[in-house]
Amino acid sequence: MTAVAQREAASGGLWSRMSLGQKQVIWAWGFLAVPLVFYVVIRFWPTFQAFYLSVTDWTITKPAAFVGLENYKRLAADPLFWQVFRNTFLYLILGTPISLLISFVVAYYLDRVRFMHSLIRALYFLPFLTTAAAMAWVWRWFYQPVPIGVINDILASFGIPQQPFLRSTSQALPAVLAPAVWAGLGFQIIIFLAGLRAIPVTYYEAARIDGLSEGAILRKITLPLLKPTLVFLVVFSSIGFLRIFDQVYNINTNDPGGPLNSTKPLVLMIYQTAFSSYEMGYAAAQTVVLFLILLVISLVQLRLMRDR
Amino acid sequence: MATIELERLVKRFGPATVVHGIDLSIQDGEFVVLVGPSGCGKSTTLRMIAGLEEISDGTIRIDGRVVNELQPRDRNIAMVFQNYAIYPHVTVAENIAFGLYRSKLSKSEKRRRVEQVAETLGLTHLLERRPSALSGGQRQRVAIGRAMVRDPAAFLFDEPLSNLDAQLRTQMRIEIKRLHHRLGTTSVFVTHDQVEAMTMADRIVVMREGRILQVGTPLELYEKPVDVFTARFIGSPTMNLLPASLKDGGAALAVGGSVRAPLASATSSEILVGARPHDLVPSSAGSEGLTVSGTVAVVETLGSETLVHIESAGQTIIGSAPGRQIPRIGEHLTLHAPAEKLYYFDKATEKALTAR
Ligand SMILES: Nc1ncnc2c1ncn2[C@@H]1O[C@H](COP(=O)(O)OP(=O)(O)O)[C@@H](O)[C@H]1O
Ligand SMILES: [Mg+2]
Repeated sequence: MTAVAQREAASGGLWSRMSLGQKQVIWAWGFLAVPLVFYVVIRFWPTFQAFYLSVTDWTITKPAAFVGLENYKRLAADPLFWQVFRNTFLYLILGTPISLLISFVVAYYLDRVRFMHSLIRALYFLPFLTTAAAMAWVWRWFYQPVPIGVINDILASFGIPQQPFLRSTSQALPAVLAPAVWAGLGFQIIIFLAGLRAIPVTYYEAARIDGLSEGAILRKITLPLLKPTLVFLVVFSSIGFLRIFDQVYNINTNDPGGPLNSTKPLVLMIYQTAFSSYEMGYAAAQTVVLFLILLVISLVQLRLMRDR
Repeated sequence: MATIELERLVKRFGPATVVHGIDLSIQDGEFVVLVGPSGCGKSTTLRMIAGLEEISDGTIRIDGRVVNELQPRDRNIAMVFQNYAIYPHVTVAENIAFGLYRSKLSKSEKRRRVEQVAETLGLTHLLERRPSALSGGQRQRVAIGRAMVRDPAAFLFDEPLSNLDAQLRTQMRIEIKRLHHRLGTTSVFVTHDQVEAMTMADRIVVMREGRILQVGTPLELYEKPVDVFTARFIGSPTMNLLPASLKDGGAALAVGGSVRAPLASATSSEILVGARPHDLVPSSAGSEGLTVSGTVAVVETLGSETLVHIESAGQTIIGSAPGRQIPRIGEHLTLHAPAEKLYYFDKATEKALTAR
């Protein structure tokens, strides 16, 4: 026997000596390795790159030089940043509860409807499949003044004065938020429906026999059992609203960010800093801030809503 | 405690009628078991009593009061489900306390009741646990606890033991029986398992395709089944049924053997002769009764006895031999059952003939 053959026999022996469980683990990792490497390269590498860029003054035309925390100091002193920060949080604290409330109510009642159940569900899901640009066009038309805008037409027919909507600094943000909420409803409704379906019918029947009212059943049984679904949707929808961009960008294409930046979210600011002003270092610093906000909010939510 | 009366009770789901006008009167404190094959309408009947299904026609009275239109909570009944229906997000104590949801008792009084019930069911040390930390049998006990704590007029059980393993099922059967003995609450118990029905019931209601076939004590059903279905359904192993033709005074078996027995007036000449495996024992006797012989195909050794399957003219007949006396496969064997242990049915109508 040659040395090579012996070595092969030894390694073959190693493989055959391993238990089935160990072999399964090796196979699993073998398959996981490829996407993992890909993911690291595609996601983590740019993230680290962004961290690095955020401490430089790279502007495309000029090579990157280390500037320390200069970009962050500039950000903290930038009134636009604080305006955008406030807008982003408004999207979050209005958008998440409103969209979850609406989608839960729809799902709760849709769950009891057999008649045209699939059709109604599909109708709600449709906006989720539509591109933001097309939707923004429709909503922009809704918000037009009389005689073009549908909403103002309706208001006028009730004798209510016309509203400026997208043209107003106070109404623009809710006006942009509405289509964003609407667009996400379909997805949230489907998830809520799945969660509701997973609750065994006998839970409700036992509760009816014990004499719980509809409201008590909702509070004491349905909602607590929906908690995993709720946690998922809160985190998912929060991330969505914190990263809101295309709804805002598309509804005011000629003036993205609304009057006096009243609708501008953080992502839009990043986009403009990077691709209008080409201040890549500064944009990277903003990205890092957004990343930290997302991280903190998600962790806090997961923590708060975790099981006791 | 209460009586329950069903009068021409009908349930339709759309065009399909699944309960065809059944009548049943349940005494105060009685333990009644509804038994029948899957899909025969047992659960539907029980759920109509509970108020979980609307009644299509007929009347339900609980303690003399018509409850047709009453909500489940106003019927003062408690129900135990097959999948327990205990809530995973609250503790055992809170689960049991759900049974007292509508009661006006003070908080401490409720707590005392919950503890008392837990004590009865041996759940005291588990009160603060979540259901996920309990075994199947313990979960079922929590479900029973929730039903008991309210002190309802009647307990309704829908196959509560079906999700338990065989050993636990036997144990819970005894526990429920003992509980009923102690509390004396009217109980309606649904099962598809005839052994459960036989061992637990004061009275058994045999159902088939939405109709009641027979009502009686376990012994009555065993000894006087009104038709072939009940005869085969009750008793394990299943009763042997041998086709025979009546001929002046006697009957000729289609299989190898003979039957010599006093037969009362039969309306038809084609009959089925029934013999329970326990009554059909190896014997060479040519006395009165049923004698069949055939080749031994299978033996099932149970210890206390041995079940012998013999084949004769293409039909398998099950008999029983004493535990120590195990026939060999392929052996020719003659089995005999005494005349007074035989059952007779009309082959066409499958109804019992009044021979005994
Ligand atoms: N909600 C329902 N809709 C339509 N048919 C039903 C419904 N519930 C039960 N059935 C039918 O009624 C019959 C009796 O069902 P059930 O009472 O559950 O039988 P089981 O004796 O097994 O408990 C079955 O054929 C079943 O398919
Ligand atoms: Mg059933």
